Amino acid sequence: MTGAYDVAIIGAGVVGCAIARAFSRYRLKVVVLEADTDIGNGASKGNSAVLSTASDTPSGTLEQQLVKRGHALYRAEAPSLGLPIENLGSLTIAWNETEAETVRAMQLAMIADGFHEAELVGPDAIYRRIPALAPGAVAAVWEAEEAIVDPFSTPLAYALDALANGVDIRCSTPVTGAHFEDRQWHLATPGGEFVASLAINCGGLYGDRVDALGGNHEIKIKPRRGEFIVFDKSARGLLDVILKPVANSLGRGILLTPTVFGNILVGPTAEQVDDPDDWRCTTEGLAALQAAAKRTLPGLLAHEITTTYCGLRPGSDRPEYRIVVRGDKRWITVAGIRSTGLSAALGIAEYIVAQAMDGLVRADQKAEIVSIRVPALWERGPRPARDPTCVGRDARYGEVICHCEQVSHGEIEDALASPLPPRSLKALKRRTRAMFGRCQGFFCGARVTAMLDRSLSPEPRHAAE
Amino acid sequence: MPPSDPDCLVIGAGPAGLAAAHALVNTGVGSILVVDRDETPGGLPQYCRHLGFGWGYTHRLETGPAFTRRLLGAIQHPSLRLLARTTATAIRPGPAVDLLGPECGVITLHPRAVIVATGIRERPRAARLVPGSRPERGVMTTGQLQQMVARGVPVPGRRLAVVGTEHVAFSVLLTARHAGQRVVAMVEPDERVASYAALAAIVRHAARIPIHVGTRVVNILGGRQVEGIEIDGPSGPARIPCDSVVFSGDFIPDSVLAQASGIAIDPRTRGPVVDQHGRTDMPGVFAAGNVLRAVESSGFSAIEGARVGTCVAAYLGGSATAWCAASRPVEAAPDFDYVVPQRWTTDDGRLPAIPFSLRVRTTGAPIPIAVKIGDRVVWSDAARRRRPHRRIGIPQGPIARAAGDATCIEVCTTL
Repeated sequence: MTGAYDVAIIGAGVVGCAIARAFSRYRLKVVVLEADTDIGNGASKGNSAVLSTASDTPSGTLEQQLVKRGHALYRAEAPSLGLPIENLGSLTIAWNETEAETVRAMQLAMIADGFHEAELVGPDAIYRRIPALAPGAVAAVWEAEEAIVDPFSTPLAYALDALANGVDIRCSTPVTGAHFEDRQWHLATPGGEFVASLAINCGGLYGDRVDALGGNHEIKIKPRRGEFIVFDKSARGLLDVILKPVANSLGRGILLTPTVFGNILVGPTAEQVDDPDDWRCTTEGLAALQAAAKRTLPGLLAHEITTTYCGLRPGSDRPEYRIVVRGDKRWITVAGIRSTGLSAALGIAEYIVAQAMDGLVRADQKAEIVSIRVPALWERGPRPARDPTCVGRDARYGEVICHCEQVSHGEIEDALASPLPPRSLKALKRRTRAMFGRCQGFFCGARVTAMLDRSLSPEPRHAAE
Repeated sequence: MPPSDPDCLVIGAGPAGLAAAHALVNTGVGSILVVDRDETPGGLPQYCRHLGFGWGYTHRLETGPAFTRRLLGAIQHPSLRLLARTTATAIRPGPAVDLLGPECGVITLHPRAVIVATGIRERPRAARLVPGSRPERGVMTTGQLQQMVARGVPVPGRRLAVVGTEHVAFSVLLTARHAGQRVVAMVEPDERVASYAALAAIVRHAARIPIHVGTRVVNILGGRQVEGIEIDGPSGPARIPCDSVVFSGDFIPDSVLAQASGIAIDPRTRGPVVDQHGRTDMPGVFAAGNVLRAVESSGFSAIEGARVGTCVAAYLGGSATAWCAASRPVEAAPDFDYVVPQRWTTDDGRLPAIPFSLRVRTTGAPIPIAVKIGDRVVWSDAARRRRPHRRIGIPQGPIARAAGDATCIEVCTTL
């Protein structure tokens, strides 16, 4: 419809957006086709927001390689995008002698895998770091490199960067059919056909369905549901480190971690589900999280719960990344990214671009790159409402609308007027944090909804509020 | 013009804050600044268009907005300034208060006294750990529903399910009617309706709205929109189709400002610890209204605000002291949910005192209540009904007379 693209990326999760950004460095016409009304509204929206080192992914796998690379790239690139990294480090705690054995073996394996910072620590060091920890911890692996990040602003930053550098991002544009003709993909959407000479499936939870459109049927996505509880910011003083249990056959287990927004997060549970749209929280799941909190950090239960949510990890029928490059069909599948998409995205993007440049597309690098920054949303970040100069210059930043998260009128207006404006309340929450706090909209819900609805109405009245 | 340091800064312009401000104006305090973070002052009653506000303070039966107008009208005075859209972000010893607002910018004021009247909020669905899907619209608290209706923001669908049966749950019925919505069911986890039995009878029989007591919401159905709720109670599991769910009541003090500022918080009320004159443990900082505990009526909060306002005026005039570490703790037995005030100071007998609020945790057989000072029972009641949502009043006279040199005032369940 708008001429042929060089690359079409199907799916604007954190991986799709990172790949789009990586391609935007080249003289290529790139389009991202997203079925949802917003980017990052699938697997990318519900995770534990930990920038992992991959020390606990299987040795020698592509996943480990790409998480490792993604982690390094994130540390290098996130600050210039305005994304926070809080270097808390993680402790994987053994509660008995059997687990202590596992932890010792884990640490040796990490060293062998090149994670030289992994350190074995005893109870003294553990309790010095977390005085509120339940009694009985015997040993732990300390990993200084693990950090917490902003999971919502990360895909947004990649998307805004891609957009600023010429990528066409189309939300509400589900791909409903695909056929390959004259070495080009014709991708059908309700908004018309998109033609591209390379298609990249970043469909996440729908990765198998997208692959099927391209005639590939070997991958089956098996979503793993993970529920989370977010505790009030008043609990932040209890924990200043990422706390992980020893992984067992059931998975990595339930972790407890601060978030960059100043809350304490407990989760995820792990449950195989068939429906990629099953975002429910369950009685059992929430009970399991409370039990884990009580067992690990008993003081936590005295604090209010801010919210609960559910994430779906886009695992597949094999416990590994499913990245398949089909040169003849000019189709790349990026599926089965499991729970490591946030940490690995930049590594995956670099890898995919290298694969594509190896004969599938040909282009020069651009001489100039436009840089962008996302608004600071993290608790200790340079929020406009805390800056006297900013408030003095523009009074809209002095009027707090969301009191729990201290989001100003100006920040909400900025988000609504951004190049990738939110089209739903959840998108607006991810952009600004409004309604994300302890009252969940008791105070600001009506006003924030009104502002969004006004911006969505066919004839927006600019800045009427 | 940015405000200058006032004699008293009142944080929160709801019933307690406005009544406190009125008391300050009446006693001739030189300069008073009232700040409120909402667009317009008045607190929660301004969004409740039905009758029942201010009773006890005004002796009138008024709607929320009418009561708000009355409170605002009473404080018109050259010595008082009111700033809406203005947030207090921190209180520090001094006291010093950081404010943020479109008119004042980011400033720090050094008032001689501060009254914290930041009120309450309802616990949202997530804090009640209600499982199910999380549609982005249609699941809300009463507070949000009332503001949406007052602001003309559409509420999804026409059928509303209400969780909770405190007074505020019944106000949803009126708000819903105003918005063209129909309440299809009320669900109460406790064994009985929290509000008045007569009210419940009217709703059940005249309005024909089923009230399911002893019943929990075990699932919220739907994807992008609410399609219904699943409940489980005495008559077994059931499914109620609806378009919105309102989580009402289950109030909690909005004491984050006090807490983050290092003011002592009572873990039982989750509000600041105060003595009977509203003094917190930060010198010069007082608190009044529902920030002290959840929840009393708007009229009660206003009475409390007025009394604390009078005490603050005395403090400013030099005839009352700041928090006194020698004040005695008032301790409620574990059977009680909480007691307010949590401290009793004996040296300011002339000042008005806030009424005692004592609450039980659960519904049950009547219990005896005794107030003991040392070994002496100074007041008792042989059999008091146990209703978690009703205030149990304790007269102050006997306590004031006997407090003397006692180390502790105990509220017990044995005579």
